[in-house]
Amino acid sequence: MNRQDFERKKGNDWNSFEMRVKGMESSGLSVEPEKIPGMFRQICHDLSLAQYRMYGSRICDRLNALSVRGYRLINQSKGGFGEGVIRFTVDTFPKALRSEWKLFVVSSLAFWIPFFLMWWSAHQEIAWVQALLGPEGMSSIEGMYGKDADTLEFVRSEHGSNFRMFAHYIMNNVGIDFRLFASGVLWGIGTLFFLVFNGLNIGAVVGYVDYAGDPEKLWTFVAGHSSFELLGMIVVGMAGLKMGFALLAPGEFSRAQAISRAGRQGLPLLIGGACMTALAAVVEGFWSAQPVGKEIKYAVGITFWILHLIYFVFVGRRFRGA
Amino acid sequence: MVRGREGRRLDTLQTVELAEGMEVHLRMAGPFLRFMAFLLDILIKIAGFFLLAMIIGFGSMALGGNVAMGIYELLAFLLLWFYPVLFEISRWGATPGKKIVGVQVVNEAGGAITIGQAMIRNFIRSIEIMLPLLPMVAFFNPRFQRLGDLAAGTLVVYSRERHDPISGVPPTMKSSIPVNIALTREERASMIAFRYRSANWSEARRAELANHLSPVTGQSGPKAVNSLVGMAQWLEEDS
Repeated sequence: MNRQDFERKKGNDWNSFEMRVKGMESSGLSVEPEKIPGMFRQICHDLSLAQYRMYGSRICDRLNALSVRGYRLINQSKGGFGEGVIRFTVDTFPKALRSEWKLFVVSSLAFWIPFFLMWWSAHQEIAWVQALLGPEGMSSIEGMYGKDADTLEFVRSEHGSNFRMFAHYIMNNVGIDFRLFASGVLWGIGTLFFLVFNGLNIGAVVGYVDYAGDPEKLWTFVAGHSSFELLGMIVVGMAGLKMGFALLAPGEFSRAQAISRAGRQGLPLLIGGACMTALAAVVEGFWSAQPVGKEIKYAVGITFWILHLIYFVFVGRRFRGA
Repeated sequence: MVRGREGRRLDTLQTVELAEGMEVHLRMAGPFLRFMAFLLDILIKIAGFFLLAMIIGFGSMALGGNVAMGIYELLAFLLLWFYPVLFEISRWGATPGKKIVGVQVVNEAGGAITIGQAMIRNFIRSIEIMLPLLPMVAFFNPRFQRLGDLAAGTLVVYSRERHDPISGVPPTMKSSIPVNIALTREERASMIAFRYRSANWSEARRAELANHLSPVTGQSGPKAVNSLVGMAQWLEEDS
């Protein structure tokens, strides 16, 4: 069979396949969609034949394009969204956290060591904290947590301000999470830098409030969302560090392969950590500034920390005999 | 289409073997085209922000300033971070900018990408923009992958069919010339390709190429061109 005969014999099949694929691509509808897989296999066969017999670029390119489109159409995953969320929450995410516990240690230390150093330094010599915060930072902290500042309950009493702050925390903090992850491609230096920088900054704020403000205002405000926000950041940091370490020590893989594996293995950490940060924004926006007693705020804060501990350690484990 | 042997290749085709037991070629989109798509997307996003600000500006009268600002920030967050993610996992497989220049994002087998892959490749872009040296990685990769593509395992390919500059109607000789030597598949295919492509070349170029086959045609110059075309015609239509 020469090229012309081949084209004449198969041309109609190709056209009708293309029509169906086009319909599925644009509207998700097509006549007799159940015939598409069979026609796709025939197209694949025709392509192999045309390539082997070297029927020229016109036919081969056309069949190639049809095959790629057909493959794309057939191999798409449409999993149930709700089921995916549940499985992720009770299984994938906590398991990924535990299997990467070393990264959790590194990421945590990168945050907590600078945090406590800065806090401690405020009690020894306040100049470090003052240098880091700058005059603007200090005056804004005094505005929020100063001895004679308006209480947050008062600031937030305006209509809609809780929602506005929630949206602001989403935009700001989840955005920071995404950058924290992304900067892992700089051999992890970027992620490490952001973690240390956040540790220094938050430590400086705590230290400065001890020095010049009213610590109770600060602690009652942050108690509720602290666990979500800090652990969320540390978890996203793990995903960034994973890519960084993959580039530094790719092991038996090429660096391109290593970063590809690390990116995908770190994905649950990125998504889970970002979700924790988003939950922190919910708590921070709608709970942390509520006018309730400090004992209740501390109790809620401690409960959330304990729940996180339980979640990280136990959820998704299979117990023998259970 | 002749597949390249081991070693360096001149074209940007990537061969992928599918589970169906055949090979397809993906045509990688180059950095220039992708940069164009990137600029278009920036323009579209800026327009989106203006539109958003306008709607929220009117909305604030009904909702109150704080609620309106909150909604603005949430939508701006989505536009900033999830505009490319949502478009790339859509049926288009491309952001509007990519759609306009005719490329799309696929996984390493040419299939649709997952939301996770879309997040990885687009979030990493935020760092690549801050350090403009980083996107240059794409120039050193045979598949033009930037760091985000490498981490996500994605490729950017042409979504349109290639239009080869060949004439649909080849030159026809009055009589075709029988070929009476044994040819390999490759030789046969290149002779046929010569017939289809030669119409777009200069006279001198045609002769130059045809002269390589002087031992077969027994001629040189324009005469060699004619007999080569005649042989190709015989191969394709009469053999």
